[in-house]
Amino acid sequence: MATGKVLYPLYQLGNPQLRIFRPNFFMTLVRPGVSQPEDTVQFRISMQMTRVDVKNYLEKIYNVPVSVVRTRIQYGANNKRNHKNQKVKKPDYKVAYVQLGQGQTFQFPNLFPEKEETPEPGSVEDIQKQFMENERQRQTADPRRGGVTNWFGL
Amino acid sequence: MAAPRGWRLVWQGCRLLHTEPSAAPQPPSPLYPPVVASHTAKSKSAKRRRLEYFYQQVHAAPSIAEKLQLYGRLQRLKYVVYPQTFSLNADRWYQSFTKTVFVPGLPPAGAEPAGLGVPDLSELRSLTCDALLQEHFYQRKRERPFLYREQQHVPAPFLTQLVSSLTAALGSCNPLLTTSCLDLKPQVNFYWERGETVVCRGYRTGRIDPVRFQIDDKPQIQIRVPKQLPEFVPLDYSVPGEVPVINHKPDKLPLFKRQYDNKIFIGSKVADPCSYGHTQFHLIPDKLKRERLLKANLADQIEVTYRANGIASLFAWTAAQAMYQGFWCEADVTRPFVSQAVITDGKYFAFFCYQLNTLALTVRADQNNPRKNICWGTESKPLYEAVEGNNVKGFNDEILLQLVQFLLNRPEQL
Repeated sequence: MATGKVLYPLYQLGNPQLRIFRPNFFMTLVRPGVSQPEDTVQFRISMQMTRVDVKNYLEKIYNVPVSVVRTRIQYGANNKRNHKNQKVKKPDYKVAYVQLGQGQTFQFPNLFPEKEETPEPGSVEDIQKQFMENERQRQTADPRRGGVTNWFGL
Repeated sequence: MAAPRGWRLVWQGCRLLHTEPSAAPQPPSPLYPPVVASHTAKSKSAKRRRLEYFYQQVHAAPSIAEKLQLYGRLQRLKYVVYPQTFSLNADRWYQSFTKTVFVPGLPPAGAEPAGLGVPDLSELRSLTCDALLQEHFYQRKRERPFLYREQQHVPAPFLTQLVSSLTAALGSCNPLLTTSCLDLKPQVNFYWERGETVVCRGYRTGRIDPVRFQIDDKPQIQIRVPKQLPEFVPLDYSVPGEVPVINHKPDKLPLFKRQYDNKIFIGSKVADPCSYGHTQFHLIPDKLKRERLLKANLADQIEVTYRANGIASLFAWTAAQAMYQGFWCEADVTRPFVSQAVITDGKYFAFFCYQLNTLALTVRADQNNPRKNICWGTESKPLYEAVEGNNVKGFNDEILLQLVQFLLNRPEQL
């Protein structure tokens, strides 16, 4: 294993490609705050990336057909103050709106769907749930009284 | 003496009744003014009253110029719609803004009016080829076109020459063209409101406002005529097709807002006799050319650019013509307004026909309005394959024939 620095020959157009440069960019797919059209995907990208970079990144690394990319920079507010009364800045970030090509659509998935919890009969949770339900029923008033309190009556 | 006195009083009352049988009881003049909603309060009824007052003012305007001035008096932020746009799938969005149904193909051919002479196609073909070769071969243009100026270099003068020579040659077959007006690079503007939204920032936050649009178009050439073209289909024709409904704000297209003069203009002022439109000719700009879209992998957007341009430009022109006749969103059109357009990039031609059936696009006027505007359009086809030396290879006669039929369109009585 050569530990010294490896010297690669100078690259000119037409030479074989000896090195692969992986980009130091990272893109985060986010759920849009405002609803976007079906073919639009929203990303948070590095501040140094351009829309051409985004297009090449998605097409070459992920094989996603991209028609058009629009970017904007979101300014992070500087109004909050910490316990020392110093201003705390929220970081700025760049947002990219990518419109997919070839008629593809994308819908951000629901990552935390509400699950119907059915505890198995005999387990601790089931007994607890039953007990709580019984307690609740014992506390509620007789529905035949129509909401009238126990003060009235005999 | 109570009873006789009472009798006397009743007797006098009966006599009074008998002497005045026919006089109708006079309604007492109102002691107080009518109870109406406030004019200045921050309430829905006050807003409704102000709107009614404004509509009455516009209805009662003495002349059309004053009506247009009153209609566009209030300036607010509005979306600027560009007919020649790079936005993806712009034609569907524009259809929803203008309540237009797009029908591929051309409208059903109506009965041909009494032929005043069949045009000589070979002569017209030679005129076209002359214009083509003049720009491509014979005229030596010394300067190479600068960046994004290629369309102005060759296709624009070719189109101008073609249209003016064809119009002149077809004057014998279509007398309407002899009284027509040919405009070069005219302004066409239109302002309208469609749908409602909530104002999100500013001192008017939270109020419900109509969504406003403005088109400022500059077709390459325009033919205006003094008589209206005949309708393609009846006014209440039910079109097979739906107006696309898009539930997102127009900002997502992307479309941007600006506030400036609300102008409505067909190419000439209201007093001009040629106040109806015949045909528009548009040139696709350099940034939306076929080669650029193919290079950017947007081959399916080529037809979309033609369609979006056709729908937006023709809607603006036709609706402005209707407003020049005194119709507006609260006074809907009583007869359909019709226009035609040819959109080209120098080689590929696409033909569009537009029929305006309704101007009532605001929420209040659109509640019980079954009418829709219709736009017919073809796909873009090449007029010629190539120009090699001093001859034109692969000339397509169908395009020329379609162009001639467009120019020959005229009403029955002249």
